[in-house]
Amino acid sequence: MIARTLCAFASLAVSLAAPVAAAQDDENVLDNVVVRNRLYEPGGKLELSFGIGLPLQTHLTAHYVFNAGVAYNLFNTFAVEARAGYAASRHTGLARSISESFLNREDKRVTDELEDLWQMNLHGVAGVRWAPIYGKLSLLSDLPVHFQTYVWGGGGLASFKRNSVIQCTQVVNRELGICDNRTSVDDRGSATQDFWVNESRVAPVVSAAVGFRFFILDKHGVRLELRDWVFRDNYRVNLERDAWEAGQASGEPARSPGLTHLVQFDLGYTFSF
Amino acid sequence: MRPFLSLALLVATAPQAAPRVPAPAFALAQVQQVPAPGAETSVPPPSTQPQSLPEAPVGPASRPAPLVPAEASAPPAGVRPNAAPAQGTGEVPASEPSRVDDTATVPAAEPAPTVETDSAPATRGVAGQEAPPVPDDAPVLASDLGSDAPRTTDAQQQRLVNGAPLYNPNVSVHIVQKKRFADEGRHELTVYPATVQVNGKYTRHAGTAAHYTYHLQENFALQVMGQYNWHSNESAFNLELIDKVREQAQAASSLLLVWGAHAGVEVTPLYGKFAFLNNSLAQFSVVLSGGAGIGSTRHLIRPAVTNDVEGESFQVPARFGDTGTKFMGSVGGGFRLQFGESYALRVEVRDLIYTARVDRVDGCNLADFEALEAARSTNQDFASLNLSGSCRYEKFDGVDPKTKKNYREDIILGRDLVAEPSSDVLNNVSFYAGFSVLF
Repeated sequence: MIARTLCAFASLAVSLAAPVAAAQDDENVLDNVVVRNRLYEPGGKLELSFGIGLPLQTHLTAHYVFNAGVAYNLFNTFAVEARAGYAASRHTGLARSISESFLNREDKRVTDELEDLWQMNLHGVAGVRWAPIYGKLSLLSDLPVHFQTYVWGGGGLASFKRNSVIQCTQVVNRELGICDNRTSVDDRGSATQDFWVNESRVAPVVSAAVGFRFFILDKHGVRLELRDWVFRDNYRVNLERDAWEAGQASGEPARSPGLTHLVQFDLGYTFSF
Repeated sequence: MRPFLSLALLVATAPQAAPRVPAPAFALAQVQQVPAPGAETSVPPPSTQPQSLPEAPVGPASRPAPLVPAEASAPPAGVRPNAAPAQGTGEVPASEPSRVDDTATVPAAEPAPTVETDSAPATRGVAGQEAPPVPDDAPVLASDLGSDAPRTTDAQQQRLVNGAPLYNPNVSVHIVQKKRFADEGRHELTVYPATVQVNGKYTRHAGTAAHYTYHLQENFALQVMGQYNWHSNESAFNLELIDKVREQAQAASSLLLVWGAHAGVEVTPLYGKFAFLNNSLAQFSVVLSGGAGIGSTRHLIRPAVTNDVEGESFQVPARFGDTGTKFMGSVGGGFRLQFGESYALRVEVRDLIYTARVDRVDGCNLADFEALEAARSTNQDFASLNLSGSCRYEKFDGVDPKTKKNYREDIILGRDLVAEPSSDVLNNVSFYAGFSVLF
C-alpha cells in the first residue's frame, strides 16, 4: 500500500511540476521568437525603388519629387542606397501674388530678396538606411503586414534655379504687376519669356528621412517616408529698385543665408531581387 | 479501489501538465484564456472529425483514454464559448504556440490550434462527481467536442503555412495572436510635455497638452483633452513678408491659439508588435481620434520693438490682442506604444481646426477703434466715449512705466486688424509626443 501511495504521489508531483517547467520553456520560446520571427529578411539583397514626393507644406515654392533608387542590404537592418531623380517645382500662388503687388509698391525701394526661393531640380544622393525596428500589424483583421521602420541619411548634389519675385528687369505693366511678354494681360500662360531675375547653381544637398517599409509578398514593398532635403540658401540683400529695374546688379550676398528645408511625404515602391 | 484513486488523481492533474508536452494535433486543442481582441481570423469548422497530422508528436502510450461528457451538447471544461468577450488582462498563456506570424522558422509541430465552441462549458467530472476546478488555459481533448466536431480529411487541410495549420478547419488561427495588454474598462492619463506645430506658415505654436481617456471597449474610447500653448506667435515667414515686401497674412489666417479644450472619441483600428534590433518586443496600436470643443485665440497687434525715449532705449515686448473664443474641431492619428501593463508612449499628429473671424480685438470693433483714434488725436479721455460694452479701451490707454511705451499708439494697429473683417478656417497641425499612465 505504501508503495502504491508513493507511486501515486510521485506521479502527482511530476504532473504538478510540469507547468513550471513548461512556463520556463515558453519564456525561452518567446525570447527566441523575437529574434526568429522575421518573415522577410532583406539582408544580402539588392533593391530597386521608385518614389514620388509631395510637399508637406508650401510657402513660396512647391516641389514634386520623382526619383529612383538602388540599394544593397548589407544586413537585415542596414543598407546603402543611391537615389537620383528630378523635382518638378514651381512658384506658389502666394509668390506670384507677392511679385505682382510688389511691382507697384513704391514705398519699398530698398529691400532684401526673400528667403527659400531656390527650386531643386535634378538631384542625386547616396546614403545609408538603418532599420532597427521590424514589426507587424494586423490590417483589416486578417491580413498580417510586416514592416520595417527606418531612418535614412545621406548627401549628394542637386541643381537649383531661382526666380526672383522682387527684381523685375523690365516692367511691362506696373499697376497690373506684369513682368513678362504675355500677349493678353489676363492670360499669364500666353507669356513665352519673363523678365524676373533668375539664377541657377549646383550645390551640395543633404537628405534625411524616417519612414516605414511594408513588405508585400517576397519581393515587393511599399515605402512611406518623411524626407527632408536640406541645402544652403543664397540670396542678396540691400537691393535698390532703380538699379534692378535698370538691369544692373544690385546689393550684396547675405552673410548668413541659412538653410532651406524641403520636407516631403514620399510614397514609393521597392522591388527586391 | 486504490488504482482507481491513483488514476483519478492523474486524470485531474493531466490537463495542467499537458501544455509542456507538445500537443498531438489530432487529440489536443489549445484553449486561449483570453481571445486576442481585434485581429484574428477564424476558420469555420466543417462537420468532419479531426485526424492526426503527420508532424505532430505522439503522446505517451500510457496516457488514459479521454473521457467524453454525457451531454453531447456540452463542451468540455475550459473551452471558451465563441461569444466570450475579450476581457481581463488579455494575457494568453505563454505556452500557446499558435502564433502564426511568429512561426516563420518555428518547427511545424509548435502551433497548436484553438478550438472555439458555442456552448457553455460542462462542470461535471467523472461518474457524476464534482470535478476539480480546471484552469481556463487547460487543454481539452478534441474528442470531447462531440460528434459534430470537424475533421481534417485531406492533405490540403493538413498543410502548414509557415508552421501554422491555416487550412485546418479545426483551428482558429490568429494573425497577430497575442495582445498582451487589454484596454477595455481602463483609464488612461496622458501628458504631452511638448506639442509643436508642424504646418506653421504664418503662425508658430508650441505648448503642453494632457488628455484623459476612458477605454469603453477594446478599440473604442472616450477622450477629454486640454492644451495650453505657452508659445504662440506669428511665424518668421510672415514677419519676413512684412519686412521685405510690405505684405502680411490676413488677420484671420494668422490667428493664434492660446488654449483649447475638447472632447471626443478615439478608435484603435490596428495593432501590432515590433522588435527593436531583435532584442526586445513591443506592442503598439494605431490610434485615430476626433472631437470638438472650444479654443481661445489672440492676434499679434505689434511685434517686439525698441522704444527710444529721451536718449534711452527700451525693449518693448510684442503685444497681442484677444480675439475671442472660437469653436474648434480636432482630428488626429498616431501610435501608442505600450510598455508593461500601466505605461505607454504616444506619438500623434493632431489637426486642430478652428473658425477664425476677426472683427473685434480686445472686444473693440471698428467703430470703437475709430472713436478711440479720434479721441487720441484730441487727447480726450477714453472713459467718456460711447463705446461698445465689450471694448476694453483701457488696454489702449496709458503709458507702460517700464518701457515708456504709450499704448495709445497701438490703436491704429488694432484698427487695421478689424478694418477689413476676415474669416478663415485654420488648420493647426501639431506633433504630440507624450506618455501615458493606465489604471
